[in-house]
Amino acid sequence: MENKITSESFTIPMGPQHPALKEPGHFQFTVDGEIVTRAYVRLGYAHRGIEKAAESRNWVQDLYLLERVCGICSHIHSFAYCLAVEQLAHVEAPPRAQAIRVLVAELERIHSHFLWMGVSAHEAGFDTLFMYSWRDRETVMDILEGLTGNRVNYSANILGGVKFDVDDVQAASIRKGLDFLEERTNHYLQVLGKDAMFLQRTRGIGVMTRAQAEVLGAVGPTARASNVMRDMRVTAPYSAYRQFSIRMMLDSRGDLEARFQVRVQELLESIRLIRQILDNLPQGELSVHLPRRIPAGEAAVRLEAPRGEVFYYIKSNGTDKPERLKVRTPTICNLNSVIRLAVGHQLADVPMILAGIDPCFSCNDRMVTLADERDGSERLMTWSELRQHGIDFYKQAAK
Amino acid sequence: MKEPNVWRDVMNGLKTWARVNSPWVLHFNSGSCNGCDIEILATLTPRYDMERMGVKLQASPRHADVLLCTGPVTRQARERLIRIYEQMNEPKFVVAVGSCGISGGVFQGCYNVMGGIDQVIPVNAYIAGCPPRPEAIIDGVVKLLASLMPAQRDARLPQVEQEKAAIQ
Amino acid sequence: MNNEEILTLAEQIVKSWDWKTEVSRSQPNQLDVNILNLEQFVPIVVGLRVKRLGYLSAIVGLDLGREANQLEVLYYFCEQSSMIVLHLRIPRQNARIPSLCEVIPSAEVFERELREMFGIEITGLKTIEYLYLPEDWPDGVFPMRKDADLTMVTAQTGKV
Repeated sequence: MENKITSESFTIPMGPQHPALKEPGHFQFTVDGEIVTRAYVRLGYAHRGIEKAAESRNWVQDLYLLERVCGICSHIHSFAYCLAVEQLAHVEAPPRAQAIRVLVAELERIHSHFLWMGVSAHEAGFDTLFMYSWRDRETVMDILEGLTGNRVNYSANILGGVKFDVDDVQAASIRKGLDFLEERTNHYLQVLGKDAMFLQRTRGIGVMTRAQAEVLGAVGPTARASNVMRDMRVTAPYSAYRQFSIRMMLDSRGDLEARFQVRVQELLESIRLIRQILDNLPQGELSVHLPRRIPAGEAAVRLEAPRGEVFYYIKSNGTDKPERLKVRTPTICNLNSVIRLAVGHQLADVPMILAGIDPCFSCNDRMVTLADERDGSERLMTWSELRQHGIDFYKQAAK
Repeated sequence: MKEPNVWRDVMNGLKTWARVNSPWVLHFNSGSCNGCDIEILATLTPRYDMERMGVKLQASPRHADVLLCTGPVTRQARERLIRIYEQMNEPKFVVAVGSCGISGGVFQGCYNVMGGIDQVIPVNAYIAGCPPRPEAIIDGVVKLLASLMPAQRDARLPQVEQEKAAIQ
Repeated sequence: MNNEEILTLAEQIVKSWDWKTEVSRSQPNQLDVNILNLEQFVPIVVGLRVKRLGYLSAIVGLDLGREANQLEVLYYFCEQSSMIVLHLRIPRQNARIPSLCEVIPSAEVFERELREMFGIEITGLKTIEYLYLPEDWPDGVFPMRKDADLTMVTAQTGKV
């Protein structure tokens, strides 16, 4: 009679080598000692074939599909889609709806930057900052839930406007939440400017000059931290940004610290803008009707997502389904830059360099292949092992 | 009929108690939009704080009891998901988090998508939502653990053997 | 420079020399340039780049359908709120265009996506690996083409 216990025996865990895993790593770094000499990234783990799927769904169904391109910046995707479709239909959403769309977009930016702050801190080993910033982020999640009904995937937009209104009671609770967030943001601004361990991992690291940023096609805060003036809300204002203007935050240093500073400054600016919108919300309708079949034509829109410029192209053939829908997310532009930046840096800096562009892909499972130039060997590491390597490296350096 | 063995029963009870009271959880994203993943990460943060209940997020499959899996499973992620499942030690449990994990969600029918986690590996619990709230995720994991109490667990063992045979 | 100046300058450039182009303004703030001679494509882009007119924001591939028997590629060069759109039309069989990577390094990721999704060969593009599609993707199946046969790919479930 079999002894069932043998199937439960515990195996001794092996080290970084995983001989059973033969697939390629997400990232491949060739190293000479500690210095990275070549970097390559393998995408596709989150490739779901959305552009193709959009062609076989109607305009309304696509709205729900496109919200889920990315869970962190879902509103900006549906915002871009609505703007492009409304452009094709020669219709403009009413001013109140546009203001509410921008309000939610700025709230989303706040949530995204807090999220990123926590994740980057985690990459550097500062788990305390991770916990604090995510606790503070819960405030903005509450605001969004109170406004839209969901913490993530808010589904605020419909073709032609928005689904809900902002009344005085909600406005008051938003203001209260913003006061708290502003206080916390100022605190982080101080911490990030003074903490020695943090500065050691960010100051002078991952420097991208202005020329490099332009040539490599960087967008968003990554580009603005290298003094490149790219911010759709300012250079090509759309929707309610034409009435409620926002300032571009620039930094000339181009290193990781600059990228942190730009985002934290943007948080303060977003908070200011939301207050301005609440004080001056235009009266009127919340939506305008759009026909089921959208007139034939082409439309291209560019919006500023928390990570940078998002580009949407839609071609309609006059039916109730799009002919072609193209989504170009900001991270694909910035990834190119970071891969080039990693070369010449120490392996220990790689997690932070990647965190600096605020990448919008899965944050946990990333395998890394390390090829050593000196002896030709190859080994696989998990991302958390790479992160730990960075943390240990700097702990040693600090001694 | 198992022969009575005091030592084995005590060890089983101890292991179950350890697993039920302090499960180690591995989180894997098989191609999701990250919505569910950030809600899972949010369960670690001070407001929900799963760790005070003994639930610990682990990085290695070999240490994990529970696999929290999100996403509709893209073709690339499929290989890795199977590998991870195989590396986990018995008894192991899989929780599919979010609509995508259950059926593919909005991505049903898309060309690079398998259509749900149970299309690839056996799933023990499903947590619905797009994304599910952190409270719902914690509730789902807790319900799964409650079902691990000895009577139910021993009843599951033949099923576990079956599933293992199906994978080979 | 404001938008009008940018677009006027761009128009001058693409109409200069003996470049064979058709220019139109389909929308305010947009200049559409139909490039009729494929060999002039890269020199025209160099001409725009020398004047720093816009950065490459996206490359969009289109399948114009079986009847038209053509594919179209759109290159969006954006400066402030103006857009300069270069249109390239190529036959569906043996579709081939030159790469922009020597002039614009950041075009690499866009071109890789274009190649794997539409089956357009891009001469001069060095990286051969797929960007988004998995390694075990069947050859010759280009997902974004209208006549792509995806039955073999979608029919498989992943159950072990």
